[in-house]
Amino acid sequence: MRVSFIAFVLIVAPLLGCATASAQQAPRTTEGSSLTKIFESANVAASRGDHATAIASYVKLIESGVHDPDVYFNLGTSFAQSGDYPRAILNYERALVLRPNESKATENLRDAEKALEEERAELEGEATIQRSSSISDAAYGTVSEDALAYAMLIANLVFFAALASVSIGRRRHRWIYALLLASGALLLISALGLATKAGLLRDGPRVVTLEDRLVLREGPDPRAQLRGEARGGDRGELVDRDRDFVKLRMVSGLEGWTRASGVGLIDSDHGRH
Amino acid sequence: MIRILAVLVVALSASPWSARAAAEPEVTVTLSATPSEAQVGDRVRLEVRVRARGGNIEDLRLNDLKKHLELEIVSHQTMRPMQFSFGFGSGVQKESSIANIYVLRPGAAGTYEFSPAVAKVDGKIYRSEPLTLVIRPSASDARDPSNPASAPGADLSGARYDPRAFLRTVVEPTEVYLGQQVNITVYLYTRIRLAPQSVVPSKPSMDGFWVHEDPITSLQFETVSVKGQQYRAYPIQRSAAFAQRSGELTIGPPKIAFDAGTGNFFDAPQRIERVGVPVAVRVKPLPPPVPLNAVVGNYAIDARLDRRTVKTGDAVTLRVNAGGVGNVNDLRIDLPPIAGVRTLQPAIRDQQRLTNGQLSGTRSWEWILIAESPGEHHVPPIELHFFDPDTETYQSARTPALSFSATGAAKAPEPTIQAVDAPPKPSTATFGPIRVYSALTRDQTPVRDRGWFAWLLALPPALFVLLWLGAAVSRRRERRGTTAGAVQRKLLREAESALQADDPRTFYDRIVASITHALDARLDESVAGLPHTQLLERLSAEGFDDDLNQRLINELEGADFARFAASGVNRDEMERCLKRTSAIIERIQRSASAS
Repeated sequence: MRVSFIAFVLIVAPLLGCATASAQQAPRTTEGSSLTKIFESANVAASRGDHATAIASYVKLIESGVHDPDVYFNLGTSFAQSGDYPRAILNYERALVLRPNESKATENLRDAEKALEEERAELEGEATIQRSSSISDAAYGTVSEDALAYAMLIANLVFFAALASVSIGRRRHRWIYALLLASGALLLISALGLATKAGLLRDGPRVVTLEDRLVLREGPDPRAQLRGEARGGDRGELVDRDRDFVKLRMVSGLEGWTRASGVGLIDSDHGRH
Repeated sequence: MIRILAVLVVALSASPWSARAAAEPEVTVTLSATPSEAQVGDRVRLEVRVRARGGNIEDLRLNDLKKHLELEIVSHQTMRPMQFSFGFGSGVQKESSIANIYVLRPGAAGTYEFSPAVAKVDGKIYRSEPLTLVIRPSASDARDPSNPASAPGADLSGARYDPRAFLRTVVEPTEVYLGQQVNITVYLYTRIRLAPQSVVPSKPSMDGFWVHEDPITSLQFETVSVKGQQYRAYPIQRSAAFAQRSGELTIGPPKIAFDAGTGNFFDAPQRIERVGVPVAVRVKPLPPPVPLNAVVGNYAIDARLDRRTVKTGDAVTLRVNAGGVGNVNDLRIDLPPIAGVRTLQPAIRDQQRLTNGQLSGTRSWEWILIAESPGEHHVPPIELHFFDPDTETYQSARTPALSFSATGAAKAPEPTIQAVDAPPKPSTATFGPIRVYSALTRDQTPVRDRGWFAWLLALPPALFVLLWLGAAVSRRRERRGTTAGAVQRKLLREAESALQADDPRTFYDRIVASITHALDARLDESVAGLPHTQLLERLSAEGFDDDLNQRLINELEGADFARFAASGVNRDEMERCLKRTSAIIERIQRSASAS
């Protein structure tokens, strides 16, 4: 009886609270006719091969506050079909941030990188796109940040309920200990995943270079000494800002300042270019 | 025959002497310095020598040489001459010696004590006399201890002093205008010998500067006096830097690692690492009004055309050279549009050199001008503005006006610059199809950033802590109640069982035990052995009312009596006694709660 009461207090009450809070904070979806019309007209333009119009319409949607994986997917596809692979890569990456386990976006992203490499190899003999390849990204790549947050909440509830049962309850079954260990492990894994997704393990938000041969300099000034060049579609992290300049740390380790207009941010928390 | 016998006699008589000579070799160990008094920078010859007549030299050591790191070993030579002597009387005698000769160059003044050199001959140790080497400051240092002529000087700004070695960043000047040159030199000050090939300097960070490096190809030093000690100051990094933005810029701390040692093969080098300090540079914007594209420096500019007459549609080359002191990378020239002439993007070439710490150079622009219409075309003067930080004034230089004429009818221009990049081949990858349906979700706050997330995350541990505390308090109370109440209930149950079994002796025994236990729990002490009079006093002192006291004593006395006269007790009396006892215990417990 006592154990049941503890379980009720520790699990059911927070879940009720969570459900209530979720209901209050439920994501607002807009099916407003104007946005839908823009989306439809963009789709029509894209299907006709008018990529410039399609891109302009999708960008208008995004500037209107739409933050939807399907819109990013279509925008990425329009860029890819018009031959602007760095921007296609950027928007596929954004789509995958919002819906990480989507196979078509992943496939298109790889195709865009491959097309960019082929195009560059055609001109220069060889080409490589620099991608991020950290273990944490690989481990949590297919899980959304919100899913990890909910998993962390549930694991937290179960863990402390099991802990309470072990330390307060009179009857201690073996399965409670197993539950305690399992929920503790899940809590740890989800917390690590959430930290990864939230960028706490990175030096800054992730970026994609949009311009080919993007010049990285010693300081935030066009006259500053040259440190190197980043190629279009390369990944990196934004580690500092100064007026219109951003400091990038590329996957290759190259670091330097460049104009903010030459890069696109993948992660949404820091605004978009 | 007689002669042979004589020789044998002589030889036999000599053999004890030769054996004694072999057993006790004559050994001399010397340690000397020439000269024994010298100045900093002079060369001193230090010689350690062992001579052994009739023994084997196994080892020769001079341990103190490692200790004096200020004495640089310029050269080291080991000599092992050996000599054999033959003769009657002493037999064959071997005379051997080892000499280690060091040429030293003292880096700092002082008195250097050497403990005796140690030689080992046939397993026996022999020592030399100790040696004292006196090094005096050099003549120039003696005249001027602060040594103002040397660049590093005795000033320790930009340094974290260390008696053995430290880094110093010298920045000149520390307050500049935007685009003005700053000379940055990093010095290693050291009193210890360093192995030049082991020096690994790390460049200080210079964010916000355009930097022209002045590479140092060989380590040269000058002797300076710091805090009364002679140091060698090695410049290890030299740069001319130009601030690219105004405000306070910081030159990061330099680092260095090097091996210090005697230079002797047998001595292990000691790795030394040092970090300098950051130095701030204040960068002021150019004083207003700032002319267009003004730079810091002093420049001359000239321009020329490669021909004066062309056919219409052909090109002439306009070359502009700007040269002088300053950072030519900062130079910007805008060629104004010329009517009837198409201008292509210029090709820019730079040449820079660092002379006596001052960066100068030349920037050349080459414009291709295509005459699209016949007639005389005029290239307007090109003006360059620059700021002299010494006089804090703006000056200008300008090219003369140039002109060229195009003859012949206008023709369709041919593309001068061909596209370099071939158009990319269409990729074989197929993208899409596009998504026709979308929820058009608005920008959402991630779950982790919503207000309730942190509360919900904190709730389980908080509830756990509360529950755990509550359970702990409850258990404590329960434990206390269990020890008193449960025993009480057990005793009364046993009394009731004895009543049912018609066992008066056991019944009254349990009645007494029950009352006694209730009193024990109430008073926190055992009352089992107390006479009833004392118990009465104790209860009164505790604040029990007289009626309860009297009933309690009566019941105990009655029970005691009944225990020993059990045959006279009937069942009804036992039942009444049980009720009375329950009532008394209840009153005792109530009094306990009230108190």
